[in-house]
Amino acid sequence: MALTGRAGLLALIGVLVVGLVLPSWQGILVLFGLLVLCVAVDLVLAAGVRRLTFSRAGATAVRTGEPCVVQLTVHNPGRRLRGVLRDAWAPSAGVVADRVAVDVPAGGSRVLSFELRPVRRGDRVADRVTVRSHGPLGIAARQGSHVVPWTVRALPPFHSRRHLPPLLERLRELDGRRASLIRGAGTEFDSLRTYVIGDDVRSIDWRASARSSDVVVRTWRPERDRQVTIVLDTARTSAGRVEGALGGLPRLDTAMDAALLLSALASQARDQVDFLAFSHQVRASVPRATLPVLVRAMAPLEAELVEFDARGAVAEVLRRAGRRSLVVLLTALEPSIEHGLLPLLPALATRHHLLIASVSDPAVHAMAAGRGDLEAVYAAAAAERTLAERRRLTALLARHGVDVVDALPDDLPRALADRYLALKAAGKL
Amino acid sequence: MTAVSPDAPRIWSAARGPVLIGVIILFAAIVITLLRGSGEGGALDPRSFRPEGSHAVARLLEQNGVRVELTDSASAVDGATLFVTQPNLIDPQRLEDLTRRASATVLLAPAGGRSRLEPETRQPGCPLADRAGPATMGGFTYEGEQSCYDSTLVRTGTVTTIGYGGIFTNRDVDEEGNAALALSLLGQHERLVWYVPSEADRSQQKSLTGLIPDGWKYGALQLGVAAVLIALWRARRLGRVVPEPLPVVVRAAETVKGRARLYRRSHAASHAASVLRQATRDRLAPLLGVPQGDDPSEEIARRTSRPVTSVRALLYDKEPVDDRGLVALAHSLDALENEVRKA
Repeated sequence: MALTGRAGLLALIGVLVVGLVLPSWQGILVLFGLLVLCVAVDLVLAAGVRRLTFSRAGATAVRTGEPCVVQLTVHNPGRRLRGVLRDAWAPSAGVVADRVAVDVPAGGSRVLSFELRPVRRGDRVADRVTVRSHGPLGIAARQGSHVVPWTVRALPPFHSRRHLPPLLERLRELDGRRASLIRGAGTEFDSLRTYVIGDDVRSIDWRASARSSDVVVRTWRPERDRQVTIVLDTARTSAGRVEGALGGLPRLDTAMDAALLLSALASQARDQVDFLAFSHQVRASVPRATLPVLVRAMAPLEAELVEFDARGAVAEVLRRAGRRSLVVLLTALEPSIEHGLLPLLPALATRHHLLIASVSDPAVHAMAAGRGDLEAVYAAAAAERTLAERRRLTALLARHGVDVVDALPDDLPRALADRYLALKAAGKL
Repeated sequence: MTAVSPDAPRIWSAARGPVLIGVIILFAAIVITLLRGSGEGGALDPRSFRPEGSHAVARLLEQNGVRVELTDSASAVDGATLFVTQPNLIDPQRLEDLTRRASATVLLAPAGGRSRLEPETRQPGCPLADRAGPATMGGFTYEGEQSCYDSTLVRTGTVTTIGYGGIFTNRDVDEEGNAALALSLLGQHERLVWYVPSEADRSQQKSLTGLIPDGWKYGALQLGVAAVLIALWRARRLGRVVPEPLPVVVRAAETVKGRARLYRRSHAASHAASVLRQATRDRLAPLLGVPQGDDPSEEIARRTSRPVTSVRALLYDKEPVDDRGLVALAHSLDALENEVRKA
């Protein structure tokens, strides 16, 4: 049960009655008795909440930060229900208004809509539905809760999708579908066609021109149906928060953004994308990923405070990727790579081309530029030490034939996509 | 991110107006108090030199060997003359108690007067005031065992009641036999307690609960019942609190900051210096086209006007530095780098 403000208001009016009319203990007892009677009447006449039935419908997935609607249907088999209903969700589900007044006639149903705007990626689970049913006097109410399960998956926001149109434009240029075809864009021979002004004279096929009445050029196209395996590190280092244009986000979220842009681009280029999230075991695995499937698979991933198991990850990649592929490892360039990943590189590099993409921290760069007082200079020295370590690791990895993309969080998705296009143009896939 | 908590200038600009008003009010209050302070004392105050004050009478009494004690909370009145200038301000019970303890009491115009007479020169007409002779008397008339000046001065036992205070004022004390009458009334004993009641004496000695009608005590109890009911209303939640599983927050630069604090605590200035030198060399090498790891000093010296030895000393010196030297070194390395970039 629950009391309402009216019960308190009645008791307050009772102060006047006691003070002016019945100044005695009996007066107080009489008024209290009356109040208890009203409460009892209200509780008896209020509609029951235990027998209500609920069902849900509506959105099951939404991009983080965007609105969606979940409907809750209340069926009332008993007396007419008047009161308040609260559909409780965790704060990060971003329910705009979780309390609504309800009025369900006897034997009827009502559909209530709740707008959600998730502020954080992951599965947002509905908690309980609580109903407070007021009696006819409005002094007391019956209250009870029901569990009505529903999950809304808040998908990664994919902010970097705005980079996609110019990247696709460049991809089309590589593909030879544009007039500005240049020699070297791709390595696979595509076809012969008549020379038009603007074509590179070096691409003229003289032997074919001799057989024909026109000058004929060869066209090239980039390779297709290559395999790109994206490995996302969800271990210790991915939990680190890095300040970007969107505020402090874990490295994991930036890496996801980059992975999404890369896979969107790669699938447009008709390459096959395999996705693997790995910490000390496989966290998510999507072979032949399409963007919607990939986004759904990424949504519930969280950084774990365990060490990245490089041996396990490499074994998993070798097991899955049958033919030569581009392996993109999204991780942090930290000294632990040296004794974790480095000894395993020969096994990987003989069959695949490895590209490591790492989120660098603008805070470290800011510290490295710090001058003025002693504290700032010591901080600068510590930051320079870290940056030197990263440079050393990059050089070490390059010696093993590994490409490294080390960029600030806002630049990483674009930088990784650019490197992929460069590799594709050079025919290194 | 923009900080929303106010900083010092914003607090000052917001508080400036009220502070200024407060200062003006304080200043005005001080000035008014100082100006007022010069006119000390009111009517029938033995310190007051004003026409309605009583400094003259007090002086006369002192010259006749009477000790005058001005008080606003008479307590030690035993064996003394008690002069009450405003008996109506005092709780009647307390006044009775004081008159019982004092050897003689003079009350000026207490409540209970019958008719009102204009103040003028009147004849005593009784043995009590024969020595003083005619005096300026008037005000209320009273009843008593001995009655003088047309009943404006009466005495019952040790209590003398006088209807008009003119004879005690600086203005009228030198008229007729006023001074003699005042001296005979107030100089009955060696000590005179001159009681000027303050506002505090007016207050009733009843407690707060005594002032509330009995009915409202039960009303207050009912108010308590209402408070409990309102608390129950507000305390009832509509469903339980929903917990939020929060991800760990680790700042990526935390380890770097930790290392900086370690350097600082162990005063590793020399180590920090070598790290900064290495960083500058690494940044300059690609600019100058020198292979990474080679000595860029000669190339730098060629492009800038600095001598090779000084550049090499700056970039490679192994001399230990202290904290102060480290800050200076950081600035010289920056200066060198800027010079190379401009050249």
